[in-house]
Amino acid sequence: MALPRGTPAPHLLRNIMTILETDDGTLANIRGVQNPDGGWPYRKGGSWTEPTVFALLAHLAARTAAPRNTEALAWLGAAQQSDGGWTPRRSVDHSTWVTALVALLPPEAVGPARHTRAVNWLLANTGMESSPIYRWREIVLNGKLPQGPDLSGWPWFPGTAAWVTPTCLGILALKKCYWRQPSSDLRERIDKAQSFLLSRRCADGGWNHGSQRALGYNLDSYPETTGQALLALAGTDPARLQDSFRLAQRFFLEHRSAGGAAWLRLGLLAYQQVPAGAPLFNMPCRTVVDTALTVIATAAEQGYNVFLD
Amino acid sequence: MRRREFLIGGAATLGLAGCSRTPAPRSPSLISVVRAPAYSQDIYGTMRRILAQHKLRVRGRRVVLKPNLVEFEPESAINTHPMLVHAALEAFRELGASVAIAEGPGHRRGTLDLADAAGYFEIIPGFEDLFTDLNLDEVSRVRLPRPVSRLNSLYLPHTVLSSDLLVSMAKMKTHHWTGATLSMKNLFGIVPGGVYGWPKNVLHWAGIHQSIVDLHSLFPRHFAIVDGIVGMDGNGPIQGKPKPAGVIVSGDDPVAVDATCCRIMQIEPSRVEYLALAGGFEGIAQKNIQQIGETLDSVETRFELIRELRGLRRAKA
Repeated sequence: MALPRGTPAPHLLRNIMTILETDDGTLANIRGVQNPDGGWPYRKGGSWTEPTVFALLAHLAARTAAPRNTEALAWLGAAQQSDGGWTPRRSVDHSTWVTALVALLPPEAVGPARHTRAVNWLLANTGMESSPIYRWREIVLNGKLPQGPDLSGWPWFPGTAAWVTPTCLGILALKKCYWRQPSSDLRERIDKAQSFLLSRRCADGGWNHGSQRALGYNLDSYPETTGQALLALAGTDPARLQDSFRLAQRFFLEHRSAGGAAWLRLGLLAYQQVPAGAPLFNMPCRTVVDTALTVIATAAEQGYNVFLD
Repeated sequence: MRRREFLIGGAATLGLAGCSRTPAPRSPSLISVVRAPAYSQDIYGTMRRILAQHKLRVRGRRVVLKPNLVEFEPESAINTHPMLVHAALEAFRELGASVAIAEGPGHRRGTLDLADAAGYFEIIPGFEDLFTDLNLDEVSRVRLPRPVSRLNSLYLPHTVLSSDLLVSMAKMKTHHWTGATLSMKNLFGIVPGGVYGWPKNVLHWAGIHQSIVDLHSLFPRHFAIVDGIVGMDGNGPIQGKPKPAGVIVSGDDPVAVDATCCRIMQIEPSRVEYLALAGGFEGIAQKNIQQIGETLDSVETRFELIRELRGLRRAKA
């Protein structure tokens, strides 16, 4: 069965140039903080993998090359570890969740061989709770089987449990690979990761970092992770997500952060659920990632979703 | 091992020689309990008096104030109140220190958005220039000299590592996993989310109580100021209810500060695992705490505990 994509509603399709051209200052803000080494900081200081990838994705979304694109890609390329993954920054030795972000870039951008190794790293990594060793240990020590093997998300850091954000980004990266070249391995892992996401939905219909209950008490959802989860679940049956849409729409109108607003817009767009009269972006962008997400969400609203297209 | 790792590891080892896990005879830790009924202008004078009581010598030193920022709920008692942080900022400046504010929330990524919603931009002039998001700061790997958790090293932010004095400005709250979250647990916020994620799950897998102790071992004599003006009880640290306790508890021995806070909250400190691990019987014993200001009897107030934590209850003095 084909893996479906979400599509924006026709009434939201506008001329892609309108906002991106008139709001060119947004991209200029990103370009203005690029480091001499080619990478980007979150705000200022040394280069990190996450803002570097988001800066590149923002330029892709705007259908324009970053002015020092080659240096940025060279910085990223040199940061790949021997295991195929990426570290959050050069002073860290462990490959982490940011590998999914790099895998979101087109293979021709990072190099096909590097990209394949990144995808293989993603396929080989999982939250500790679904690893065979941990499952065996739980059975021996506690006499119970932890969550089923069909739930398999990604951790932030190796050797820890799976959480919502890295799982969403892993799904989005593998979906792009699948659409380029379908395979049963990719499909199986995407399905397991989407099952993980659905299993971590909070009672209010949304998602927080990935813990719906603590000591029997329901925990509340967050806007950012609710938007991310809807985006990562794009194409699954919307009938199962009606509570999630309602909560995301409520969050969307509250507008507490630029990053949250952008993720919610992306998630709701994937299901044509952006509420009528939704406000434009009006929150301060505090980091390169927030700014890039604003560009990406704006482009998605106008018909080009860099995560799904 | 990099040179920096070695130096920090060595410094921490030296620090441990005098820390509370050492069974050698000790002089009592000076802990002040000051009554502060509300977040008002009076706090500024109160904070100056607290620092004077503790005779802090910080002229020309770099001081980092580390509040507890958790959620976007300014009307609740989740976050350290910005007025208390501003009062500390001004008081340390008056003593000649160079002061910065830094925090790395454990669940929410938009730290500056969170600080804005919590009132920090409104109350602290030039807040954005004073503030470092510890989740996104430059990092170095630091070896833990004698780990009690499963960790043997941690990446930590330069803003904290390069400071002369770290001031943990925690909120007095119950915590559904650890019993109470005070100045020691507040150090989870110095562990960078940019490396470990949101939440900082590596600390949970290594053992929450043990990780608190390991972080404490790296900063055994940081200064602690606990915001108990309005704390949180019940299902803390996020979903509990505001609990006015009307106190600020301070000192340079975080184990003794947190043990005192527990007594004020009517929690038995020896039953809080990380306090027992870090302080041992001697470290948290009341006879080893020289308490100034209000007496325990005059300020202790019952913090409600969820059913799972009722075994921590301390009988009223």
